[in-house]
Amino acid sequence: MHIPENYLSPVSCGVMGAAMVPVWVHAVRRVNKEVPKEKIPLLGAAAAFSFLGMMFNVPLPGGTTGHAVGGTLIALLFGPNAACLAVSVALLLQAVIFGDGGILAFGANCFNMAFVLPFVGYGIYRLLMGKSGRTSKARPYIAAALGSYVGLNAAALCAAVEFGIQPMLFKDAAGNAMYCPYDLSVAIPAMMVPHLLVAGVIEAAFTVAVYALVRKTAPDLTYERIAEAPGKDGLKRRIPIFALIAALIAAVPLGLLATGTAWGEWGADEIADVVVNGKALGYTPAGLEKGWSMNVLMPDYALEGMNEVVAYILSAVIGVALLIILFKLLSLALKGRRSDP
Amino acid sequence: MIPAWMTKSEASAPPKSGGAFAIRSLRSLGGVLARLKVQRGREGKRQLPALLRLLLLLVLVVLLSLARSRLLLLTLAALILGRLCLLPGELILGVLKSALAAAFLALLLFLPAMLLRPAGIPNNLTVVGKIFLSVTMVNIFNRTTQWNHVTGALRKLRVPGIFVFLLDLTLKYIVLLGTLLRDLLTAYLLRAVGKGRREYRSVGGLLGVTFLRSTELSRETWEAMCCRGFTDDYKGL
Repeated sequence: MHIPENYLSPVSCGVMGAAMVPVWVHAVRRVNKEVPKEKIPLLGAAAAFSFLGMMFNVPLPGGTTGHAVGGTLIALLFGPNAACLAVSVALLLQAVIFGDGGILAFGANCFNMAFVLPFVGYGIYRLLMGKSGRTSKARPYIAAALGSYVGLNAAALCAAVEFGIQPMLFKDAAGNAMYCPYDLSVAIPAMMVPHLLVAGVIEAAFTVAVYALVRKTAPDLTYERIAEAPGKDGLKRRIPIFALIAALIAAVPLGLLATGTAWGEWGADEIADVVVNGKALGYTPAGLEKGWSMNVLMPDYALEGMNEVVAYILSAVIGVALLIILFKLLSLALKGRRSDP
Repeated sequence: MIPAWMTKSEASAPPKSGGAFAIRSLRSLGGVLARLKVQRGREGKRQLPALLRLLLLLVLVVLLSLARSRLLLLTLAALILGRLCLLPGELILGVLKSALAAAFLALLLFLPAMLLRPAGIPNNLTVVGKIFLSVTMVNIFNRTTQWNHVTGALRKLRVPGIFVFLLDLTLKYIVLLGTLLRDLLTAYLLRAVGKGRREYRSVGGLLGVTFLRSTELSRETWEAMCCRGFTDDYKGL
């Protein structure tokens, strides 16, 4: 579910990043209050655990395997706010060190996997567990399974909406999508069907399997017990958070729709109407009017509407760089062969 | 005298699918641990400081994502490929592998859109090219920069100390817990012959033990911090 760079427009990435700031601030505050000081290294451990969980292959029927995100599990073990921070750190490391998921898309990835997933998953778990302390044996596991299943699918739905609104918002003059080319009618089924059928099941099985072991061997370590010990303020205080989540989920796509064409991204037909210092621009720049030609990307080393000398030099640089890369790779292959026998 | 039953050859062919998840997890874990260990000592001597490189990376990523004109895109491509060709061969191979994989995946994803709407092909190809270039860029950065220098750079950027502390700690825990998980998986594989019926229980066991160990490690870290006189101040860490 890691959204890579350039599938989303920079504007949407910025909006998602901005939406995450209050969430992070809130999570840090809650963690400071809830988690005793001596548990602070636990956040690092939680982030590392979440990172490793995302790498873990879960067996699927038929001998294949799949990955789980494990957001709900982290929330069950460490609490939803700590989970939000831990998954964010894990995602940051994945983006910067391992190139998994974009750096610009970090905000969007965090929104889906570090915010929606653990909070929705944990919320559903609490809802199903109810208030009474006495529950049947199977209840926590059913609640954990449903929570993680719904949480993952909620996150997938958010990702699908983020993808799907791209072609509605960011088009060039000819009406062609600038980023992700699929609109909501394609993105939502394409994302949701595999998540509802496969990924959600993996997530639920993974969560229940690990949660069951921890509950059996070290029940005191789960978040529920830690949170219940000092005061009984479980669900009540969290209601505002859920309201915030619901509002944000509803508002984010709306906010994106309302921004219209982003500054600097006008189409050729729009730019004449752009108002600069109270005056409309009044003309369409020639370069924009010509737009893309349908030719190959680099015809004859020169590109239309571009200074030929500059284009030539750039093509030369790219060509030389590609040749050097090719030769280095070739020599690497030869070196490997020579040292083999 | 060898008894007769010992001379008979027996065919034992346990079904191979058992433990496939463990093998795959081992493989991806090995990759991560290797990457984190290689993180040390790949830095050139006359490099820009990590802080500048991080800022440059962020600026270039934004610029690339915003770029509309082909001149800008081409300039960025020349810059990035020019930097790539200066690296040693093994690094180029690693960078190109992941960048090409990302570009190929993007191409596959965009293929239906291109077939349905030929007019959008140039735009779609631009996105694929941008994806290739960004992945290349991030990979060049993380293969030539030591992580502890990056956290140092983050601290210079006035990122809160606790956040930097958390990042550093997480990386160390990934190596520690990753090694533990690797050992557990190896032990599991050595004992699991043939098709396992209780694979999910094994998954629970493997990760459950890792979780228990993680809480233990964090407690020990806290005790070590106290022993060294930690006073709520992350700057000196």
